[in-house]
Amino acid sequence: MSTDNGGSSESDPSESFVQGTDDDEPRISFYGGRGMSAFPIAFFIVWAIVQTAFWRISDEGGLVVGILLGLIFGMFFVRGDWKTYANTIFEGMTQPVAVTAIVAWIWAGMFAQLLQDGGFVDGLVWLADAGGIGAALFPAVTFVLSALFTTGIGTGYGSAIAFVTLFFPAGLLLGANPVLLFGAILSGSIFGDNLAPVSDTTIVSAVTQDSDIGGVVASRFKYVIVAAVVALAGYLVAGQFMGGLGIGGNARQILIAESEPIGLIHLLSMGVVIGTAVAGRHIVEAISWGIVVAAVSGLALGLLSLGDIVMFNAPTDAPLGESLEFLPILTVVEDPDAVGVGGSLINGAAGFFELAILVLLIIAAAQIMIRGGAFQAILDWSIDNLATNVRNAELTMVGSAALINAVITINTAAEVAIGPYISKIGERFNLNGYRRANILDGQTAALGYIFPWSGGVLAGYSAMQELPGEYDWFTADMLVTPIDVVPFVFQGWLLVAVFVIAALTGFGREYIIDRESEEVARV
Amino acid sequence: MSLLGKYFKGWRFRDTTPSLEKGDVIEVFVAESNSATEGHVYVGDTHLIVEGAGPETVEKRVRVRVTEFDESSSTGRGEFLEVVGESSYTS
Repeated sequence: MSTDNGGSSESDPSESFVQGTDDDEPRISFYGGRGMSAFPIAFFIVWAIVQTAFWRISDEGGLVVGILLGLIFGMFFVRGDWKTYANTIFEGMTQPVAVTAIVAWIWAGMFAQLLQDGGFVDGLVWLADAGGIGAALFPAVTFVLSALFTTGIGTGYGSAIAFVTLFFPAGLLLGANPVLLFGAILSGSIFGDNLAPVSDTTIVSAVTQDSDIGGVVASRFKYVIVAAVVALAGYLVAGQFMGGLGIGGNARQILIAESEPIGLIHLLSMGVVIGTAVAGRHIVEAISWGIVVAAVSGLALGLLSLGDIVMFNAPTDAPLGESLEFLPILTVVEDPDAVGVGGSLINGAAGFFELAILVLLIIAAAQIMIRGGAFQAILDWSIDNLATNVRNAELTMVGSAALINAVITINTAAEVAIGPYISKIGERFNLNGYRRANILDGQTAALGYIFPWSGGVLAGYSAMQELPGEYDWFTADMLVTPIDVVPFVFQGWLLVAVFVIAALTGFGREYIIDRESEEVARV
Repeated sequence: MSLLGKYFKGWRFRDTTPSLEKGDVIEVFVAESNSATEGHVYVGDTHLIVEGAGPETVEKRVRVRVTEFDESSSTGRGEFLEVVGESSYTS
């Protein structure tokens, strides 16, 4: 930590955390010109591509090191006092955008985990089984159920894993085409990642474009549903023509083993969150209601125990451990490594801790780029050469968001990095916050699940690799190679197409004078 | 707006050059200013020159009263009233 911020007599806190200035001059000067202020972000993007695309390491911790090193190396190019550079890092990290997103993620993470632990997917499995669906229809039905599930839990990665584990082997036995089936699962993940109010990318798209999350969800429905209707038709038609592997065997056995109709109660938990968020309640309030409904209904119906929600694992020498072990939330464990707090709430929240740190640092690096002038240089160049009118501006927004998401595996990180650019280009033409957020998140959700190095594909593929160990009949040649699925992620390709068409035709375009997005619920 | 209304708002094809009327008071972002007294506002491809919106208002949301508007060229003039908000990212 910089000593400049702590207690010295000449230190002025207001100097360290300036929120905006009116001067046009860059505040930090770099050797090599203002373009060098993009060094930390550029270093991070190169690191992220090498780590996640070339080496297939989808580890947020590694990305944190990438951005930290970028920030450290960037400092060596600063002319004069490095204090301003250090202070700008703090200035970036204390922007409301970062904290709003982080708080919403942590709430969403707890909710998502409760739904997963509370048997939501088992309810959907029951629905698929009860419908008695055949091979040709199975991909289309999988798409719908995966979309529904992801809209409830918000995380497309989690949904891809759950559906590959349960629906993929059942579909194969039924005779559905494996590539089509994997594509349908990923398409459902895209649908929900894009539309769920508890999705990390939905939250980032709303807060970076200064809009309320509920309003963003309602306004993006039109793009998502147009793409989804065509995608569904695609899976119905392709399901008729693309044959399966002809394994034989009893698919119902797999489905019945994991089938639990009562899990469908979480449609209610999900409805509560979506309804309250779209009705304009603060996202923390909306998700809190969802958590309450999911926990109470899960406990009442026996889907969850108190210990599943929160469990204290105490060591044997804890003074009040054994005497209070009768409590449903306390266990005494022999293994010292098992000591800790577990359960849905902590597991759900903890899933976002690394991402939270990563996002704080990316926003800090973006602020360096803004203060150093590189951001303005890129913006000026874009305005002169690309975003010359509103149609081109929207196409530029679609293209830039698509490009960065196509190259960076973890789509939330890519979205945070491109957020300020989308905001400035859109504000110049007075496009309202909803339209900007929708353009940004459409590409983020879509491109995060298409390419072999995309996070969603990797998550699903890694779950698939476990299947040969799980089932005797499942052989390694039944695995879908990630490159093969690329053309069959219909929802992804269609969503990008919908936004290109929307930019060209003005479908769904809204200006600030048409409707102002409600203010994002700041925390 | 009702819950359902929010879902069905904006299902239309919006023009690149929205029209304004004289006397309208709108809240918009100022794109640029190349003199001390005039700012440029773009609502889509509609161009408004705003008197009184100097460089200090660039990338701020301001309230503007439309004083002239030519439908055929989608251009007009306006009068700066006050600053009402900031950009999502302050530079």
